[in-house]
Amino acid sequence: MSEWLTGFWNVMDPGVLLFLGIGVLGGMVIGALPGLTATMGVAILTPLTFWFEPTRGFAMLIGVWNSAIFAGGITAILINTPGTPASIASTFDGYALYKQGKGGLALGINVIYSAFGGIFGTLVLIFFSFPLARFTIGFGATEYFGLAFFGLTMMAAVSSDSVLKGMIAGFAGILFSTIGIDPMLAMKRFTLGSVNLIDGVQFLPVMIGMFGVGEVLNQIFEHDRLAESAENARRHVNLALGRVLPNLAEIHSASRLTTISAMVGAVVGAIPAAGGDIASIICWGQARKWSKHPEEYGKGSLEGLAVSTVANNSVLGGALTTMLTLGIPGDAATAVLIGSLMMYGMQPGPKMFTEAKPFVINIMLLMLLANLAFLAIGLVTAKASAKVLAVNPRTVWVSVCLLCVVGSFALNNNSFDVGIMFASGILGFVFRRTGYAPGPFILGLLLGRMLEANLRRALVISQGSYLIFLTRPISCILLVLTVLTLLWPLAKALLFRSAGTKTGS
Amino acid sequence: MRKVLILSLAAILSLALAASAGQYPARQIAITVPAAPGGASDMTTRIFTSQMEKLLGVPFIVTNRPGASCSIGMEYVKNRAPDGYNLCYIPVESVMIRALGLTDLSSDDFDFFARAMTIPAALTVRKEAPWNTLDEFLAYAKANPGAVKTGNSGTGSIWHIAASAIEEATGIKLTHVPFEGGAPAVAALMGGNIDAVTVSPSEVQAGVDSGAFKVLAVLGEKRSGVVPDVKTALELGYDIKVLGWGAFAAPKGTPPEILSILEKAAAAAIDSDEVKKFFKERGFDHAYLDAAAMSAFAKAQLAFYDEAIPKLGIASK
Repeated sequence: MSEWLTGFWNVMDPGVLLFLGIGVLGGMVIGALPGLTATMGVAILTPLTFWFEPTRGFAMLIGVWNSAIFAGGITAILINTPGTPASIASTFDGYALYKQGKGGLALGINVIYSAFGGIFGTLVLIFFSFPLARFTIGFGATEYFGLAFFGLTMMAAVSSDSVLKGMIAGFAGILFSTIGIDPMLAMKRFTLGSVNLIDGVQFLPVMIGMFGVGEVLNQIFEHDRLAESAENARRHVNLALGRVLPNLAEIHSASRLTTISAMVGAVVGAIPAAGGDIASIICWGQARKWSKHPEEYGKGSLEGLAVSTVANNSVLGGALTTMLTLGIPGDAATAVLIGSLMMYGMQPGPKMFTEAKPFVINIMLLMLLANLAFLAIGLVTAKASAKVLAVNPRTVWVSVCLLCVVGSFALNNNSFDVGIMFASGILGFVFRRTGYAPGPFILGLLLGRMLEANLRRALVISQGSYLIFLTRPISCILLVLTVLTLLWPLAKALLFRSAGTKTGS
Repeated sequence: MRKVLILSLAAILSLALAASAGQYPARQIAITVPAAPGGASDMTTRIFTSQMEKLLGVPFIVTNRPGASCSIGMEYVKNRAPDGYNLCYIPVESVMIRALGLTDLSSDDFDFFARAMTIPAALTVRKEAPWNTLDEFLAYAKANPGAVKTGNSGTGSIWHIAASAIEEATGIKLTHVPFEGGAPAVAALMGGNIDAVTVSPSEVQAGVDSGAFKVLAVLGEKRSGVVPDVKTALELGYDIKVLGWGAFAAPKGTPPEILSILEKAAAAAIDSDEVKKFFKERGFDHAYLDAAAMSAFAKAQLAFYDEAIPKLGIASK
């Protein structure tokens, strides 16, 4: 308990609160601007935080992450475009509410339920991560292999548009992860004679390039001057926003489904690779089935909007639970946060709970504070937040590119990383134009090394016997789950074909 | 035209150098840490330079250039002008990376002016392990070749060589399990996935303090301040000595008068209470060597690793 009190005083430091506040405000802008995602925000700001003390630096990143996910809903409500992919389901009811003149109420619900979901997810993190870390401390090479394998098969399960393209991107990521020194024999692989590639392709410059420059290139390519002016004209037809706060009856009627949705969100977040977009779509779809008023869904249901905003914010706590206790990312943004923690000299994983316990507690408290901060700021600025959308896209593009260059150089003071960043940006652009998702590629790059090193380490320990993966219970369970995940799309196809029905999205 | 320009620039530069040689240092000094911020190398350098600033009266700019077992940072400094304004923190990796086939660079490319500290390897096992002494451990390993799974911080890392040096000196056979750094190896020992580790005393200190681990021997020149009761392998009658170290150097060809100024200041800086206190907190052993002794030490280390690393059966030229 005294550790929590110390942690509380740590995060109450004016510097920490200042950077958290800057992060929350910055996150609102990043989240509300279509195309700037929470992942991009965290990736391009990570290098800047190295000049700060770790708690202050992480306060800023946590602030950006939490508030960008919430602010994505603002855009979803006002212009029917998700500000970040996580708020895709908020467009279904949010924009309909705005058109009915209840935009203020929709924005209010977005703030309040985002904070509710975020706090719920953080409580899940606080209550489950310590026991989970005590459990995972015994994990060895076999279990980590099982986890990485399971995580990688999830990319097949979640790349719903095209499983094939998802797999191709994922395997490309694994292939890139083999560049550098072989983890067991210390031989150089694919280094092209360059000292800079001996450690492999650095993960953070790739993330910065893919989600920063890659996205900017894509937006420039898609940019249509006529469409932009039409869009601006549409935005000038200022619809009335109305009241912001929901009344007690509205809160009460939505309480059952939003609580369920918060739980589902946290679980989906904890699953590697599945993030806020999937959680909110699942929750919105299920809530419609269970709701007393399913006919309102998609036509301006307050409950539908509340459910989807709860889900995408409770994902964060779940994703962080996986990231901190196992060291594997729950979603793309936590993948970047792993890189940030490693840059601070901390290795996410069960050992962090014993060796850097005060910092783990600080992270949890910062998560709670970030939610409270955007709740307060969000409610106050609800009606003014629409102004962010009037920012000229050219200004955004230039600032993002600038931050990408500065950030990727600042990581290691190495201009080779800037080259990696630009190359990844172009790759990210090509991915987006051709319908490949950057997510599976990133997952492959991050988990590929973990997969290979632990497979081979386990085989060294077992002296070459593959049975070790089946005789150790946890790795056996993980492998069974992996097989089930792989078979699920097949089973689903068979089931739905025989039932002769098709689920709507 | 260009030639004339370069020649005249060189002339001006050498004049400027000649003028300033008498009053070195005349401006700020850049020092490169070939490792990430926050680590042992970085913190040692930062606390060292804070003392050097007081002694020499000029600012020191510390820049981290991590990567490729410190090759990237050392390569960078090697290619700077040897004018005393480009210094480098040089870790034990400088005598290993050439034999590992990572680069052609070695400790021979630098003029050392001081060694600051050493970190020995420590053979550590779990509390409930059946061995209480180094001899019992070796007897078991001799009777059961390959049965003891020993974790290290990566293939070809200094702690891998520590385990292999034990094999070499005693004729036992261990199964080496490489991890990504010392901390995951220690975690695997804690989780019971391996039987022993050969990493630094400070990396196992938490486990030793909580009673989960016991240290059987320290492979240093002298006992470690972290576990002062544990005897060194040398004391126990085995000629095994594997230790990490941190030194400071300038690129080869730095004028001797500049090196001697640096040597004198570094001696005082490393002897300061601040540096000693920091080493004690971090579990490093204060182990100052002057320029001549350090150069001889580096030569001996380079020869040792040039011979030891190919025996690991991993070298990949």
